Amino acid sequence: MKPIPHKIFGIYTDKRRIYTKNVFPGKIHFEEKTVKDGPIEYREFDPRRSKLAAMIMKGCTNIGIRKNDVVLYLGSSHGYTPSFVSDMVEEDGFIFGIDPAPRVMRDFVFLAEKRNNLVPVLADAFHPETYMDRVCAVDIVYQDVAQRNQTAIFVKNCKMFLKKGGYGLLAVKARSIDITKKPKQIFIEVRTQLEKEFTVIDYRILEPFEKDHCMIIIKK
Amino acid sequence: MKYSFTHALGHFIVNDNGEIIGTLAKPDAKLKKLPFELVQCVLENFKQKKYFAKLYSKNIVITKKAIKESVNEDNLIVQTISTMTELDRTINLFTKRLREWYSLYFPELSENVSNHEKFVDMVLTEKRPQETIGANMQQKDIAEMIKLAKHIQTMFRLRCEHETYLQTIMKKYCPNITELAGVTIGAKLLELGKSLKHLAMLPASTIQLFGAEKALFRHLKTGSRSPKYGIIYEHQLIQKAKKKDRGKIARVLADKLSLCARLDYFKGEFKAKEYRKDLERKFG
Ligand SMILES: C[S@@+](CC[C@H](N)C(=O)[O-])C[C@H]1O[C@@H](n2cnc3c(N)ncnc32)[C@H](O)[C@@H]1O
Repeated sequence: MKPIPHKIFGIYTDKRRIYTKNVFPGKIHFEEKTVKDGPIEYREFDPRRSKLAAMIMKGCTNIGIRKNDVVLYLGSSHGYTPSFVSDMVEEDGFIFGIDPAPRVMRDFVFLAEKRNNLVPVLADAFHPETYMDRVCAVDIVYQDVAQRNQTAIFVKNCKMFLKKGGYGLLAVKARSIDITKKPKQIFIEVRTQLEKEFTVIDYRILEPFEKDHCMIIIKK
Repeated sequence: MKYSFTHALGHFIVNDNGEIIGTLAKPDAKLKKLPFELVQCVLENFKQKKYFAKLYSKNIVITKKAIKESVNEDNLIVQTISTMTELDRTINLFTKRLREWYSLYFPELSENVSNHEKFVDMVLTEKRPQETIGANMQQKDIAEMIKLAKHIQTMFRLRCEHETYLQTIMKKYCPNITELAGVTIGAKLLELGKSLKHLAMLPASTIQLFGAEKALFRHLKTGSRSPKYGIIYEHQLIQKAKKKDRGKIARVLADKLSLCARLDYFKGEFKAKEYRKDLERKFG
């Protein structure tokens, strides 16, 4: 079956799996499977490798990301998820990938050279003042950093870069906040913290795709 | 109030409402820096397609340079010790295979020589005696086993050269850790800590349990017995000690190793020899 448009903008589905339409056809970076339909190439977006894909598979109907959006992606790592966001925002969109680890940023630079709507920024998202002089305001903040202070990092960056009315997506890894507490309890604490600053519009636990993770979506 | 804001796209003058009211050729030191609350407002101006190409190329240049400059001794040490660990595994695997294979021909050798390195050397130098329960074989069949033995011997040599190299860089880069922990454990500590800087910032209790993360998580989650040591368990002082003393020694050793990391990172004195003698006197 050929992939057809999903409820979510930029996502396609054959009912079992989800895909994005490759904006740079022929360029495959992560050994992902592809489905061809004439000149169109769909890249399979794996919920076991990406929390964003997991969030979609868990039934989220609005992730906020649209064509032409500018995205601040914190914890871009090797660029797996960013490469799919790159497909979703298309050529005129723009994604800043922030990561402090040189090893993964090296891969991300090579990826950004092939997809020029991805921008590599080697920096620590806990210190947005170190990169505020080379990014612009954004429509979306996406964060997946797996750090103890992840909530603080997210709030800081949303305040500093996210436009009013923009969406923020936060992947929370319970284990990196406090291993002794129940994950559910941590999720609720993070959510409560975010509610003080923004409107929480979605919250889902990413089980069975990711253990002890949830994603929270906010609107500024 | 007017502020100055320097950005990849230029130097700007901004007013209290976060509006750009002028540009500058270079930053004006007399103007105040832009307060954080106004950043979002100013950056809104740059969220336009026409600026993307410049933002892209500037960031590519800056990030490439930063990556280039990020490589240091930590990386060399971590790569070397990781390679040595994998060589150990590979050598072990292949020597076991050689033992099986060669024992079709000369089983008494493997039976009598338990040391792997010595066994491989002897495959290459010793002749098979008349008296053996091994099968008689054609030259071409023996030659194939010998090929494998030669490759394993080369891997033993490579491991040895890596160790010498590691010792040289570590003595210079982190003399205190190297003296007290030894080359292998010292390098593994750096590997687990990711860098000397990070290692120097860690509390001694973390260093004590480095390499025992699984047991530690289990302990925190299920309340199982808490681990007393991680990688430092391999240290001579702990190996030689009585079981009941090991926990205590691990704690004191980790304390000193943590001091060593700090001395090395902040380019302090060479004190590890004293520490080592102290520990040996107390526990040795
Ligand atoms: C779980 S990975 C992210 C995977 C990625 N989101 C994906 O799905 O392809 C977490 C990343 O966060 C990065 N990270 C850790 N601390 C960070 C910080 N303070 N700022 C930005 N990134 C950070 C790590 O280097 C790592 O690459």
